[in-house]
Amino acid sequence: MNIIEIKNLNHRFADGTMGLKDINLSIPEGVFVVIAGMNGSGKTTLLQHLNGLLLPTSGTVYLSGMSVSENPARSRQIVGMVFQDADSQIVCETVFDDVAFGPENLRLDRGEIELRVMRALETVGLVDHKDKNPYLLSGGEKRRLAIAGVLAMAPKVLVFDEPFSSLDYPGIQQVLKQIVSLHESGCTIIVAAHDLEDIIAYADRLLIMKDGRIVREGLPAQLLGELEAFGVREPLSLQLGVKNPSWLN
Amino acid sequence: MAELNVLGFRAGDSVLHRLDVRFKLMFFVLISLSILKADVFSLFLLTITLTAAFIHIGLPIKSVLKDLRYIFFLLLFVFVARSLSVPGSPVIEIKTITVTREGLYQGAVVCWRLLIVILTGVAFVLTTRPSEIKAAVQWLLKPFPGIPEKKIAFMMSLTARFVPIIFDQAKETLAAQRARGIESRKSPVYRLKMLGIPLMRRTFERADRISLAMTARCYSENRTDPRLSSGLRDWIALTGVVCLCLIIIF
Repeated sequence: MNIIEIKNLNHRFADGTMGLKDINLSIPEGVFVVIAGMNGSGKTTLLQHLNGLLLPTSGTVYLSGMSVSENPARSRQIVGMVFQDADSQIVCETVFDDVAFGPENLRLDRGEIELRVMRALETVGLVDHKDKNPYLLSGGEKRRLAIAGVLAMAPKVLVFDEPFSSLDYPGIQQVLKQIVSLHESGCTIIVAAHDLEDIIAYADRLLIMKDGRIVREGLPAQLLGELEAFGVREPLSLQLGVKNPSWLN
Repeated sequence: MAELNVLGFRAGDSVLHRLDVRFKLMFFVLISLSILKADVFSLFLLTITLTAAFIHIGLPIKSVLKDLRYIFFLLLFVFVARSLSVPGSPVIEIKTITVTREGLYQGAVVCWRLLIVILTGVAFVLTTRPSEIKAAVQWLLKPFPGIPEKKIAFMMSLTARFVPIIFDQAKETLAAQRARGIESRKSPVYRLKMLGIPLMRRTFERADRISLAMTARCYSENRTDPRLSSGLRDWIALTGVVCLCLIIIF
């Protein structure tokens, strides 16, 4: 079953620029999708339509058959979004409080909130930091905290916008491990990235975007050779013929 | 930014950590008001009580004083101003400037009082989760009609969260401008403008991103209310603090 269906989606910004042009897309439940493209190709704009942060100028986005435009609040519970800048996503002064922020907005009772927060912190391995000020966490830990904040809302789809930007190698490994383990636990994963080196080994499906359009869509192995034509670097590990290019080995 | 971080909540299991935030807020107000009447003996008594409280929390008072080092400049200013402005028997006389014995005494007492109020506030902040402070503000504002207590409490919390980040941005912008020779420009107005405009722009851009991230996490004013609960321990502590305040006043 398709968890996401996008039909004839167009988005025009206030200044008249077209952000998305004629997007048609179906994403089945449980798949790992990578959206590649240069800066400004429309990746973030597309992601923000999945939970109603942006609404279409024309066309429709459906989540399990429900229109996002008609139910933006519900769509934000189904699609959890981890932003590129973790510092802007973390809004509270302790790790625990920040993870509790989403469930509090859902008006869950205190017992349920505490349960969800502890479960989310365990999943991302931050239980020992629950009383810390998020400002004191490392880049990788902040990104994991942002993931925990989304997990506590129990979404079905997790969307990551450039999840590895400005992280060091251990930070990338920590976040990648989380993403892979969330996919293994049954979540649908969508990752937008302009560099595929660290993520491509785990993708079931690859989309390439350019100028607000999806220009290629298919299995990663079939599209890798075309990446550079659309301004995305072909992963070096594949150019060198590495059979298992995973960053977690 | 270490100085800002040390003065934040520290998890612990002390009596102060376990007291209800509303009572702690009340203690802070009572002590701050009664200290206006405090003499040297009362100040000595309060200093010993505060030192004992810091030892009990498990935080060396020395490190707190170190992190408050900038406050001492303010206290020094107050001390000097008092020493020079209070009339009395002169201790030092240089031309028209006279330092009096009464001025030195009053300056020392005022600084001591201010320091105790600051340290009481530090003890409060160190032992109270920011979410509890937010809850207390919300609770205190609730009886006033027309005041959006949830919004105000959350705005306070956001401010506390983002002040260190804005300071970091200011430092970064300043460093980038130094690298491009801003120090050769003598006009403070020009330098302030070159620091202020990009800093404001980045701050507003960040505010936009925060607002988007909050929307993505279903933010609304109609949220789960914070849990506040008081018990016998809080009332015993209140009795103790009231007694202490009475000793100070009389």
